Order: sequence, then structure tokens, then C-alpha cells
Amino acid sequence: MKLATLSKKAVIQALNNDGLRLKVGGFNVCLSSPVATVADHLLGLYGAFDVVDHTAFIDFYTSIAPPSKLRRFFRANVNFSFDGHIPFKPLPYKQASALFEWGLNWCIANHSHHYLVIHAAVVERNGQAFIFPGTPGSGKSTLCAALVSRGWRLLSDEMTLLSVADGWVYPIPRPISLKNRSLDVIRDFAPDVIMGPVIKNTAKGAIGHVRPPDDSVNLGEIPVQPAKLIFPSYLKGSKTELTPLSKSRALLKVAENCFNYNILGLQGFNSVGDLVDASDCYEFKYSNLEEAVALFTELAH
Amino acid sequence: MSGACIITLPKNRLICCRFWDNECVLYNQLTGETHLIDDMGTEIFRLISEKTATRTQLLQSLHSVFEWDIDFDVEEVLDNLILQYQKLGLIVVTENTPA
Repeated sequence: MKLATLSKKAVIQALNNDGLRLKVGGFNVCLSSPVATVADHLLGLYGAFDVVDHTAFIDFYTSIAPPSKLRRFFRANVNFSFDGHIPFKPLPYKQASALFEWGLNWCIANHSHHYLVIHAAVVERNGQAFIFPGTPGSGKSTLCAALVSRGWRLLSDEMTLLSVADGWVYPIPRPISLKNRSLDVIRDFAPDVIMGPVIKNTAKGAIGHVRPPDDSVNLGEIPVQPAKLIFPSYLKGSKTELTPLSKSRALLKVAENCFNYNILGLQGFNSVGDLVDASDCYEFKYSNLEEAVALFTELAH
Repeated sequence: MSGACIITLPKNRLICCRFWDNECVLYNQLTGETHLIDDMGTEIFRLISEKTATRTQLLQSLHSVFEWDIDFDVEEVLDNLILQYQKLGLIVVTENTPA
């Protein structure tokens, strides 16, 4: 059953009682929350996700809730909790839906060591995974949103899950998080994308989320072979430049962008080594999204 | 450093190597550190990952792969590299004393 088939009342009821149980990629997530904007966030952006029943194993029990009833009204703020543990400081009430997305990122990055977890956007075309590792501000999510708006399959805009067992990329399609100027860039580039409300004044500036395409969500358990490893760098006014990168240097750059390379030890080294062996590696400078999309579309043929 | 001294990788496969063209990446299981090595260093590790080598054998191998200017002191560079790699725990140097 898809979330979109539930009424708003049913979603709010589930969030306020035992929690809403969603299938997100290969994970089952249970979320409880009395916060109205969280329900709106889910209804607007998670409509294509499956709701799982009460017998399913839950990977992450989460909640977004005010620390006390008083804090719903006075200096209103909210906590993210995972299995009853609160890993972060509370954030303002208005940032509740962003906190859910960040909290879920944290759960996956810290508790999924059967994968090498790379800080990278990843999309698929013609059976090939294009992986875009990068630090915040490198333009990976903008690039990812642009490609997805032109029909590429979204695997993830934030973390690439590379199986240490078989070396394939396992999808975790979720709303694409855009910041600041990227919000307008994508609105201009792809006016048809569905975007949730913009949350202002977060630690990262203004944040908005793009709804993932239904097709990508429906293929959320189908892994893809890695093919291209591309390190993007958005530079205002720069030409579109794709430069080959040596595999040794690509290995080091991937390792730097992993959440759990050190935890996996030799297994992590071997996984990154196999990834760069299987991929063509590049550095990519861009400022023009149309040119970038055209280039990658040609590269995927 | 004498030409007869033997250079090897540490025992128990502590150092794992991946080679691509004139570069390699080493992973030290003991420290968890990852090292990028290029040019001469790559040839050193390519050779000793196949078999143990003496300093003289390493020099011969490097001479067969690289061309240098006349004033380039390859022996000094090699000894410095060996010292650095030894400090990082990437290689083991043993004096080959006659029995």
C-alpha cells in the first residue's frame, strides 16, 4: 500500500500513535511525530513509498517531537530520536521535517556497515550507476536533481550505498535536499519538479526538498552496477570540463568522502579499490546544467 | 645502506597494494592509513610485492624502468624512500649478513 492512498487523517493518526512505517529503499523506517509539518512533508514527498505492516522488521525506530509539552508553545523546538536515543541538540519547531531527513541520514550512515557508505549522489541510466561524491557545496545534489528531472533514475542524492558483498550500488531514493541558490536554479531548470516548502534559517541556510520520481521509488530495491565515478565541482562561470582522474587518486578521494571507510578497515579499502576498478573516473567542473546533463547523457550511451 | 640489505613487505599481509599504471595505493592494516605512492615508489612496491629484493636489485630494476639526468643521484633518492617507507611501517629492511 502506497502512502498516497492513505488519508491525511490516517497519516496523522499513525504518526501520533504507533508510528508510520515506511519502506525506504532497503530499510523499514518507523516514524512517530505529533508535528503537523512532518505529516505534510510525508504526504507531499513520500506519496509513492510503501507503507509496511506491523509484522515487518523495522530497521530504524525514529521520532520527531518536542522535548516537553511546554516546548510546543514556548521557544518551540523538536528533538530527533532513534531507538529512544537523542543524538542531536533540538532544533526549532519549523525545522522539524528537515530534522527528520538529517536524522534518517545519520541512522543510515551510522548503522549500515554491510555497505560502504559514500557521501555521494548517485543516479542511473542504461543500467549504469553514475556516482558523484562531494562535500557540501560541490553541487552534487543540484546535478542530481537536474539529471533526475530529465528522466534519470534517482538512487540517492546524499549517500551511495555500495554493498561490500557484491560491489553493486543499492538505492535509497528519498527527497532530494537542495540548499540556498540551488532551489531557484532547479526551479528554473525544471519547473515541473514537485518541491516541498522551503525551510529558512537552518544551519545550512534555506533548505527545500524535491519529491523523488515515483519510478525511482518503485525500483527502490533493484541494485545497479557502478560505471562512472565523477567528482563534481560547481564553479560560477566555469566551462563544462570533464577531466580523467587516475584510479589511485580516485580511490583516495572516495575514501575521504566515506562515512565508514575506517570502520570497515581492509574491507573498506577493497570495496573502494573494486569500485574504482569498475568505474571510469573523472573530475568535473561546471556552471551550466544543460551542458552537464547533455554531457552525461552522451556518456551513458 | 648496503646493497645486500633485503627489502620486503611486512609479514602477515599487513600491507595491501593496488596498482594502476605508475601509481599505487597501499593500505596499512596495522595503522588503518591509506597511502598514495607514485613513480619510483610504485616500482619499488611492484617489485617487493612479487618477491623480496635487495637494494642492489631494486636499483637495477629502477634503472631498467626510468631514465634520469646524469646528475640525478638515484641511490640517495632510493635510500630516502626506503627510510620513509620503513618509518611508515610499509616495508621491512633486513641487513643480509653472511652466515
